[in-house]
Amino acid sequence: MTLLRVEDLHTHFISRDLDNQIRVARALNGVSFALEPGRILGLVGETGAGKSLTATSIMGLLRPPARVVGGRALFEGRDLLAMPEAEVNALRGRDISLVVQSPKSSLDPLTRIGDQLIRIHRAHRKASEKAARERAVEMLASLGIPDPARRMAAWPHELSGGMAQRVLIALALMNAPRLLIADEPTTGLDVTVQAQILDLLRDLVRRTGIGAMIITHDLGVVAHYCDEMAVMYAGAIVESGPVRQVFANPSHPYTANLIGATPERLRLGGPRTVGGPPPNLFRLPEGCAYRDRCPQAGADCATPPPDVALGAGHVARCHRVAA
Amino acid sequence: MTGLLARRILLVVPLLAVILLFTFLLVRISGSDPVGLLAGPTATTEEIALVRASLALDQPIWVQFGVYFGKVLQGDLGNSWLSNRPVLAEILDRAPATIELLFWGVLIGAGLGIPAGLRAALRPDGGFDQVTRFLSLLGFSVPTYWLGLIMLFVFFYLLGWAPPGMGRIDLFLTPPDRITGSYLIDGLLAADWEAAGSAFGQLVLPVLCVAIISAAPIIKQTRAIALEVLASDYIRYARAQGLPHRQIRAMALRNSMTPIVTFIGTEITGLVGTTSLIEYVFAWGGLGQYGLSAIIAGDFAVVQGYVLVLALFSVIVFLVVDVFVMLTEPRAGAAP
Repeated sequence: MTLLRVEDLHTHFISRDLDNQIRVARALNGVSFALEPGRILGLVGETGAGKSLTATSIMGLLRPPARVVGGRALFEGRDLLAMPEAEVNALRGRDISLVVQSPKSSLDPLTRIGDQLIRIHRAHRKASEKAARERAVEMLASLGIPDPARRMAAWPHELSGGMAQRVLIALALMNAPRLLIADEPTTGLDVTVQAQILDLLRDLVRRTGIGAMIITHDLGVVAHYCDEMAVMYAGAIVESGPVRQVFANPSHPYTANLIGATPERLRLGGPRTVGGPPPNLFRLPEGCAYRDRCPQAGADCATPPPDVALGAGHVARCHRVAA
Repeated sequence: MTGLLARRILLVVPLLAVILLFTFLLVRISGSDPVGLLAGPTATTEEIALVRASLALDQPIWVQFGVYFGKVLQGDLGNSWLSNRPVLAEILDRAPATIELLFWGVLIGAGLGIPAGLRAALRPDGGFDQVTRFLSLLGFSVPTYWLGLIMLFVFFYLLGWAPPGMGRIDLFLTPPDRITGSYLIDGLLAADWEAAGSAFGQLVLPVLCVAIISAAPIIKQTRAIALEVLASDYIRYARAQGLPHRQIRAMALRNSMTPIVTFIGTEITGLVGTTSLIEYVFAWGGLGQYGLSAIIAGDFAVVQGYVLVLALFSVIVFLVVDVFVMLTEPRAGAAP
C-alpha cells in the first residue's frame, strides 16, 4: 500500500485586514504526491513555496490563521485530515515522525536528552522506564553518538548543532515510525556534518524500509539522497518524478531554471536565468502561477495547465510540455 | 555547583559596601545639619561643637565614612534624631509587621496571578483572557492609598465585616509574646486564640490590598511569558511528537517558572515602597510607615537606616531568586 498519498491539498491563511475584510492567502493550491515505503522523496522549491506548510498540513500541526480547506492526506489508506485530533496525535511521533531544522531550540531546555527520549517512547508505547532507557541508549549509539550512556545525561544546551540534530533524529525514531518527514534537516550545519546526517537518514531508510520525505531547497541534497522528487512553486507541485528523469529532462520551465541556477551549473557556463519574486499568494494569477516569470509564457498560460505524463512517473504541469 | 553558589553569595559583600557608601552619601548630600536639631535650640556654641565632635562631624569625610562603616558593621545604625532611640532596635521592632504584610500579600497575589496568567495565555483573547486583562488593568490603575481607603469604607464602615484599620491587633488586646514577630503566628503558637483571631481580622484588608496591587503585574507578566514559551520551537516540536496535552502544558509551565520567579523577585522589592502607603492607611506601624514618617519629619538617621535595610532586603530577595534559578535552570550551570 502506498505509505502516504496526498491528493489535491489546499491550505489557506484566512485573516481579516484593517478594514475587517477577509483576506485569503492561498498558500497550498492542490498539492498531490505519493510516497512508497522504502523510498525517499525530496520536496524542493524556493522559500515560501509551501514545502514546510505541506508537512505541517499533513501532520495536522497548522495553527490559526492557517487552515486546510480541501484535499486528503492518506497515511496507509487512512485520511489524516478527516481523523479526530486525538487519533492524529497518537500517530504523531509514533508512526509519523518529524525532524525539524533548528534542532537546538526544538529540544526541551529543562529536560536531559535521555529523559526526552524516554518520555516520547513512553508517551506512545507501553514500556517500562528501564526498557525505554535501554532503547534510548541503543538509539543514540546507532546514530553514531559516542559514549551514549553518558550522553543520556546531557542537557540540550551542551550539544553541538550536529549532535542536537542526531538527538532530534533519535527522538523521531524512538517509536520506529513508518514515515519520517525531515524539514530542512541540515540547514545551519556545516557541510561534513550535513553529509553525515543525510547518510544516516539514507541508510536508515534502506535498512528499515520506512518512507522518508526530505524538505529542502538544496538540489544537491535531492540529487544525492532522494529517489523521487517533487518541485513546488506557489503552493503547487509543478513537476515530479524519479530524480534521474527529472534531472536528465527537466520539463517545467521553473524546474529547468532551478537546476540551471545551481552554483555548479552556473560555473559550467550555463545560461543565467532571470529570477523574480514569488507570486502574491493573496492574488495568484489565473492559470499557471509561474507565467509572470516564465520565459516561454504565452496566451494559453492564463488557463490552468494540464499535468502531462512523461513516462516512468515523470509528470510536469505545463502547457509547453509535449508528452 | 557549590562553587558557583558560593561565588554568588560572596558577591553580596562588595554589593553591601557600595550600598553603605550610598546610604552614607545620602545624608551628606541632603544638606541638613543634625547638630542644631540634636543640641537643641538653647545650646551654646561650645555645646554645639561638642555634639559635632561626638558625632565625628568635625573630621574629614572619609573618616566619617570609616566611622559609619565600622558602626554599621557592629550593628549600630545610630539613634533617631527625634526619639533618640537606636534606629536598629526600632527597625527590628517594626520589620515583622511589614514582612508579614508582604509575605501574605505576595503569596496570595502570586497564587492568584500565576494561574490566571497561565490560563489566559492558553486562550489568548478568549473570554477569560479579556476578563483578567481588564481586572489587571484595573489593579494597575488604582492608586494604592485609595484602594486602602475604599476597602475600609466598604468593609468596615458600610458592611461592618472588617475591624477598623487601626493597627495589627485590637487595641484592647495584649499582643502575644514575641516569637516570630507576626501576631497571627505568635498568637497561634501561644494558643491565644483571641489574639490570633484579632490579628487575622486586622490582616485581611491590608493583605488584600497588597495582593491586588501585586497580582496585576504578575498576571500580565505571566501571560506574556507563557505565550512566549507556548510559541517556542520546543513546544511546537513537542506537539509534533504527539506528546499528550497534559505533558505539553507541564513542560510549558516548567519553562515559564524561571522568568516568572525572577519577575516576582523584582516585583517584591518594588512592593516595599507601595506597601508603606498601605501601612499608613491601616496604621500598620511597619517599616514602610516608619520610613515614610521619617522622610516627612526629616529624621535622616532613620531614613539612612531605612534605606539600608531596604537595600539589604533587595539584596536578599535577589540572592534567593538567583539561587532558585541556579538550581532549576541547567543553563545557569548549577542544576543538580
